[in-house]
Amino acid sequence: MSSYHKLEAKTVQELKDIANKIRIHSITSTQAAKSGHPTSCSSIAEILSVLFFNTMRYKVSSPRDPSNDRFVLSKGHAAPALYAAWAEAGLFPTTDLQNLRKIDSDLEGHPTPRLNFIDVGTGSLGQGLSIAGGMSFVGKYYDKASYRVYCLVGDGESAEGSIWESVHFASHYKLDNLVTIFDVNRLGQSEETSLGHDVETYRKRLEAFGMNAIVVDGHDVEELAKVRAKLKHLRRRNRNTL
Amino acid sequence: MKNSTFSEKMKKVDASRHIECFIAEQSLVGTAIGAACRDRTVPFVSTFACFLTRAFDQIRMGAISQTNVNFVGSHCGVSIGEDGPSQMGLEDLAMFRSIPGSTVFYPGDAVSTERAIELAANTKGVTFTRVNRPNTAVLYQNNHQFAVGKAIVLRKSDKDKVVLIGAGVTLHEALSAADQLAKGGIGARVIDPFTVKPLDAETIIQNLREVGGRAVVVEDHYPAGGLGEAVCAAVSLEKGIIVKHLAVPTIPRSGPPAVLLDMYGISAKHVVAAAQEILKL
Repeated sequence: MSSYHKLEAKTVQELKDIANKIRIHSITSTQAAKSGHPTSCSSIAEILSVLFFNTMRYKVSSPRDPSNDRFVLSKGHAAPALYAAWAEAGLFPTTDLQNLRKIDSDLEGHPTPRLNFIDVGTGSLGQGLSIAGGMSFVGKYYDKASYRVYCLVGDGESAEGSIWESVHFASHYKLDNLVTIFDVNRLGQSEETSLGHDVETYRKRLEAFGMNAIVVDGHDVEELAKVRAKLKHLRRRNRNTL
Repeated sequence: MKNSTFSEKMKKVDASRHIECFIAEQSLVGTAIGAACRDRTVPFVSTFACFLTRAFDQIRMGAISQTNVNFVGSHCGVSIGEDGPSQMGLEDLAMFRSIPGSTVFYPGDAVSTERAIELAANTKGVTFTRVNRPNTAVLYQNNHQFAVGKAIVLRKSDKDKVVLIGAGVTLHEALSAADQLAKGGIGARVIDPFTVKPLDAETIIQNLREVGGRAVVVEDHYPAGGLGEAVCAAVSLEKGIIVKHLAVPTIPRSGPPAVLLDMYGISAKHVVAAAQEILKL
């Protein structure tokens, strides 16, 4: 934990501001498209802000650079928030976000590799983590590179058995370069998820599968940024992390 | 199941290029899609053909992800025999043909299988190679040139009256049927499609025209979506062509492979009968 330097107040405010911009873009773009999932986007606004503007190492000018950290949005329906993060990072103008879901825009309802910053299509829930596992395996054992793979999983889709197949795979192969983030926002499409806000049960399940689970307030940018330091610490223990 | 698919032989060649994904097909396919990303690796997914259907959603999404993952499905069809219907891939051709941009190999012997795998590794998009369980005779010289979408005419004479099309085990049944028909004075041309998708419609139609427009297609697959329907679709705008399609019509059962091929109407005997039947039309 010694490697953690408390964020300066200015940085904290910047990360909060970007999170709110992501939230606003998500709402205005889905409003312009007259469809989409703005609440699911808002749920991950701080997570994306901290990942893209504090934690991840990547070149905005070369989104698919082999040495970049990877990001897989398993809960693909939150695509507008991801598009907003890349726009705020400077890959394309934020005004493009208003073209969400239009016939002549590649900012589709769910992410596809028609976009140069998307590696794999997501939106069929429960699949992103196994793909991230494959990326992490290659990064660790074939490329032997230092890039990390971040995968954002919705709590609703964690009901899919394939998520747990993937957690098992990641744990078995000690994929300490894989960071899985469960966004426990309590809500599925039509009602509460089965576990609601019971983060303790999520933590116990993930630990039972061999993950290092860390529970943080997903809307607190300082808490989220601290996880980064914990990850460095955990990595030395050769274990994968949540 | 690497000792059934023989993928363990690859592990012995180079263990570092073998990722054991255990009994978790959805994770298996997702892992391969991830491994293929940013062109870091050329992955092959190996399991029984029937169990790949469990990951159809991942395969479908793989196409959307523009993945170059290669699938190899073994133990296809009733010819696996005694293990019974739960282990028989009988829908796999339909599944992989339906994927946009996919290439579907169905090699008929060891030489063409080796070339299919080599071609698959160098083909963009999802590929599927369907392989048999039974030992089959070698049909091709080692230097035979194979290509995607290029069928091979294995048996041909000027007096042919019918075209027989089979793949994998049923290619060998078709060759046997051609031998039997020859004894009765009927020349039969035998075509190995090599790839079911893309199908070499040009070669098939040209040979059909030369023999008078009669063909029997035989496959170890359910009738929907396999080789037979691929051939029928390819000739659907052609005048004067009749295709008799032999496939596994019902849920099969356990038994010796040869008995099952006969019981479900896809053995050489049935190909002979089908050829004689359509020649009367």
